[in-house]
Amino acid sequence: MTTEPEHAIDVENLTKRYGDLLAVNNISFHVRTGEVFAFLGPNGAGKTTTVEIIETIRTPTSGRVCLLGMDVTTRKRDIVPRIGVLPQGFSSFDRITVRETIQYYARLFGCRNTDVDGLIELANLKDKSKEQFKNLSGGLRQRLGIAIALVNDPEVVFLDEPTTGLDPRARREVWEVLLSLKTNGKTVFLTTHYMEEAELLADTVAIISKGKIIAMGSPDELIESNANYLVLTLKTIDGAPFEIIQRMGFEPVHDNHKNIKVRVEHTDDIHKILNAMKDAGASSLGLDVRKPNLEAVFLKLTGEALREGSVEGVPE
Amino acid sequence: MSGRVIGANLVVSITTFSREKSAMFFTIAFPIILILVFGTIFLNQDNVSFDLYVQDLDQTNSSAQLVKTLELNGKFKIVTVDPAINATRYAKDRKVNLVLVIPNGYERALARRLGLVGGVPYPAFRDPKASVTVTYIYDASASSTSTKIQILRAGFAVVNEAISGQPPFIRAAETSMLTKTFRFIEFFVPGIIAMSVMTSSLSGAVNMNAELRQKGVIRKLSTTPITRTDWILSNILYQFILAVICTMAILVVSYAVFSVRLKINAWLFVFLVLEVFAFGGIGMILTRVANEAESATAAANFIMFPMMFLSGSFFPLELMPGFLQTIARILPLYYVNEGLRASMVFIDSTAALRYAAMIGVFAIVVFVLGINTTKWEEGT
Repeated sequence: MTTEPEHAIDVENLTKRYGDLLAVNNISFHVRTGEVFAFLGPNGAGKTTTVEIIETIRTPTSGRVCLLGMDVTTRKRDIVPRIGVLPQGFSSFDRITVRETIQYYARLFGCRNTDVDGLIELANLKDKSKEQFKNLSGGLRQRLGIAIALVNDPEVVFLDEPTTGLDPRARREVWEVLLSLKTNGKTVFLTTHYMEEAELLADTVAIISKGKIIAMGSPDELIESNANYLVLTLKTIDGAPFEIIQRMGFEPVHDNHKNIKVRVEHTDDIHKILNAMKDAGASSLGLDVRKPNLEAVFLKLTGEALREGSVEGVPE
Repeated sequence: MSGRVIGANLVVSITTFSREKSAMFFTIAFPIILILVFGTIFLNQDNVSFDLYVQDLDQTNSSAQLVKTLELNGKFKIVTVDPAINATRYAKDRKVNLVLVIPNGYERALARRLGLVGGVPYPAFRDPKASVTVTYIYDASASSTSTKIQILRAGFAVVNEAISGQPPFIRAAETSMLTKTFRFIEFFVPGIIAMSVMTSSLSGAVNMNAELRQKGVIRKLSTTPITRTDWILSNILYQFILAVICTMAILVVSYAVFSVRLKINAWLFVFLVLEVFAFGGIGMILTRVANEAESATAAANFIMFPMMFLSGSFFPLELMPGFLQTIARILPLYYVNEGLRASMVFIDSTAALRYAAMIGVFAIVVFVLGINTTKWEEGT
């Protein structure tokens, strides 16, 4: 293509209602060509509804959505051959093998030149190519789904919660496939409720909650502007350090491992705390300093956790 | 509509079918087993003969002659009961449903009626009032009893007629409506074809739509160039191919094992196509009405099983009570059964056309409804 539009996706004032339920509430954003854009939010935030509208399989209640410069409500036929989709909870025909499934989808798109072996390799499914779909584990199914999303060499790839429900190892294996996708220079629209996933893969993250985008930017920008602090964690054997830190005007808390966590603004504060402890003869078994992650950003912006039990005891 | 897409779907469907042993069994093996089992049970139904227990208390040439006449009639296999024993008791103990008792004095009564003296007829000695009474000891609850009694009455009527020496006033001329004689198996095979095609198209449509939708396969497909029309057409085509395979399997077995005489012509294909559309349409509607794949399957069974038994797939409708016959006439499978029989057994194109028109109208209505209720895009 000679003149690629700067924006692969343009969404303006998109609203979607299901009866009384306002699933997506007047959101606007754009996705630059070639970037990985992550839609981050808890279940029910409106992620899938939005992505399915962009994929042309749902119709918006109001607003305008353009994909590759084409209106999604009127140009489905032109859009579909140029996008690849991994739907949420991807599934396929039980009795059809990995290779046959890829071939089937390639045929649907009328692609004679699909590099089936290349896709199998990309998705790391080489030794599973003759396995029937019903015998594949969750991680393998998702990887097959990603391979299928690429059969037509699409310009934009949509991945709707590609690692939900997978164990950590399977998740990492899917990420590896996604990282290699990123190096291929495709525009990727990713929805997820995993912070690590967004931080690891995305160039731009939009945080969505209750149908509204509440923050958008690169992961670093979001952390910088919404959670610009450090968290010091101290392993201690007694209560002395807790009182020392409290007296210094900080607000330490105990986490569920009885460690002390303190939120500080600068690295200088950490030095001050450590020196004060040293002067008082209090000791610690170990310490850890962390920048907050997107999880903290999300918590700060929405007051709700993305996933139950996932938030560490970070003091506000 | 795209031939390429339909072809791709057919490959997937047929591959799936060939790997699903239970689908193969229910589509092909099950109807063949039915044919073999019922065909064997009713193999010689036309030449069926009943056991007739006869106690001859007269023990004369004349009474023996009478028994012989009944046997020659071809409907009975005679079992003689010892004249010394109590026939009622005998029937009870042996669970015999009918014993014919020829009384002592049969020959004497016959001689008086015919005016026989020493075997020589003297018309002057003829006694037109001389008669004899045979006794049926029978179990009214047994199903074959009344048939046996009817056959006996017919046999005795022939004897009475011969003895009276007068020609009968009313004679019956028998002209069969059928151009040839048929065996049970020849009625049965079209019924089994109709039943099998119904089962595979109905459950096939439910499976394709409800199960794949529930699993999210349809959602994935809706992000590819395949259209709803492609999808429905591929399903119908696949169901038709299955119907043809299944019909051929049934016919091959029926010809090979029972040497059936059935006419195979274009009507067979007409009925297969109409049936696939009709029951595929019902399947699509069910899929929409029932939310989950399981309830759609249950609803399909709820429709199929009564239809199988009520629409005359297995036995002639005439055997059923009147109200059930009325019900049968509102079932679509009835028209397929009768249509297939009209074309394959009776070779009656007019009747086949009539039934084809009935099922055809039904198929169009149901299929159009089915198309309109099949969701493809997630929609509004």
